[in-house]
Amino acid sequence: MRALIVDDEPLARERLAALLGEIEGIEVAGEAATGFEALEAAVRLRPQLVLLDIRMPVMDGLEAARHLEALETPPAVIFCTAYEDHALAAFEANAVDYLVKPIRIERLRAAIGKAQRLSGATVRKIESAVDPGRRRSHLCARVRGSLVLVSVADIDYLLAEDKYVVVHHAKGEVLIEEPLTALEDEFTGRFVRIHRNCLVALAKLAGLERTPDGRVFARIAGVTAPLEVSRRNLPALRKLVRSL
Amino acid sequence: MVDATPRRWLPQFCSLPTLFAVMVVAELVALILVLAPDSPERPWLPRLGVATVYVQWLALLNAVVLCSMRQPLERMSARAGFVSAWLLSVAVTALAAAVVWQMDQALGLGLSTPFGQGQRFVLGNAAIAALISAALLRYLFVLEQWRERVRAASKAQVDALQARIRPHFLFNSMNTIASLIRTRPAEAERTVEDLADLFRAALGSGDTPGTLGEELDLMDHYLRIEKLRLGDRLHIALDVGELPRDLPLPRLLLQPLVENAIYHGIQPLADGGTVHIAGRKLPGQVEITIRNPLPAEARITTSSNGVALANIRARIEYHFGTRGELRVEPGGGEFAVTVRLPDASPDR
Repeated sequence: MRALIVDDEPLARERLAALLGEIEGIEVAGEAATGFEALEAAVRLRPQLVLLDIRMPVMDGLEAARHLEALETPPAVIFCTAYEDHALAAFEANAVDYLVKPIRIERLRAAIGKAQRLSGATVRKIESAVDPGRRRSHLCARVRGSLVLVSVADIDYLLAEDKYVVVHHAKGEVLIEEPLTALEDEFTGRFVRIHRNCLVALAKLAGLERTPDGRVFARIAGVTAPLEVSRRNLPALRKLVRSL
Repeated sequence: MVDATPRRWLPQFCSLPTLFAVMVVAELVALILVLAPDSPERPWLPRLGVATVYVQWLALLNAVVLCSMRQPLERMSARAGFVSAWLLSVAVTALAAAVVWQMDQALGLGLSTPFGQGQRFVLGNAAIAALISAALLRYLFVLEQWRERVRAASKAQVDALQARIRPHFLFNSMNTIASLIRTRPAEAERTVEDLADLFRAALGSGDTPGTLGEELDLMDHYLRIEKLRLGDRLHIALDVGELPRDLPLPRLLLQPLVENAIYHGIQPLADGGTVHIAGRKLPGQVEITIRNPLPAEARITTSSNGVALANIRARIEYHFGTRGELRVEPGGGEFAVTVRLPDASPDR
């Protein structure tokens, strides 16, 4: 079994690698220091097992586990944590395996024996139990078997098209399969609705423009595409822009 | 838990405030004696003088006796001790009255009761002493109890404010040690020593103050452990050579600020950053500033950080009053905390 070690602390990775080295049939495929790096490594190395630390910079373990589900063959996940008392309760409640640091080799061996893939729904349940107001730091899109991660901070606007939502960001655009309303709910205060099919990043909003024919468009720095504001959303948006 | 000081119930008769209370009550008694309608037909001022001298002398005598008998009295239960103290004061007064009466008769001053009525004088004195000392002892007893409660309450408050090291830190450090034992046993050993020092300070009582030097050493131990854990992500710029190491300081006043800087500033950054710790001397003050970068997503002061800062601010206020202060300056992608503490020593 090929395993990927994910922890932001070099010594923690070192110890886990040493422990895994003592277990028959386990091969350490690679290491990663953040959830973001873990997803890149998972695409590249195709591990069957990922040992995920929970608290990491850039993207934490819970969010990484959620994005791992988008892989064609998602790996089994074992969470590792030093001390996260309410997260542990959430793991117990959802029958998800976890290890507490310093990890014991017997516990590690047992966890590997019954390690399982996690469904996105289960991870979401844990996330909302740990921290109800939690938001992802990245959106994840599948492009030809690989994963594309877009930092939420880089997103200019989100446009709904048929079954998809097109994520327009600083470096281009990707398609994700998520309803626009779910995104609006998750990122309240970060994105604002200007139209039935469009959410705009509040931080990127440069102003509103009225054309001679009476239509109003939202202006975003560096974006040329016209983003029309619907009549229904205009009053609320005006108020918001004025308060900025 | 065993309390180091047993609960005191007997007031400190040798202390100035108690002595003063005793003297005020004695003077009131003297006044009552002189003003009583049944007193002999003599000018009241000289009578007040005589009564004052006599009653004050009795009162001080009682106070001195109770003060010197404090230890055996304290060993009794509160009730037995109270009754004993009361009986003691009645006996002392009776004895003293008898002596005074004898002296008065021998010298022929006629200040007390006439010849043959010595028994009446002594009994009367003893009765007055019995009434007054019962009331006074009770009053002082209640007062002492109240003070004790206030002391206990404020100690509990300070204890509650005692700095606590995040449990996360303990478990992460244990993990670091577990990892080091295999490859670098010498470093593992030193980390155990550093960790022990930190927890000795954190688990110790807040009663014994440390010094700034000890605090800087603790900070150093803490940073050494975190440096092992975070590796290249943590850089430290330390400039505290100017600070007076012998300045008295409550324990773990600065370490939590450094812990905050790492927890909120360095750990959430993939590439880490530098924690700046600078100290300088000002006239009558020392100033310590701790600066750390702040990740873009956490520009708002998170609640746990606020709690830690409020805790340290309250402890500074408790120990130094308005002479100490803690100032927070977020902004520009950076977070800075400045602590100013009074430096009373004149030779610095």
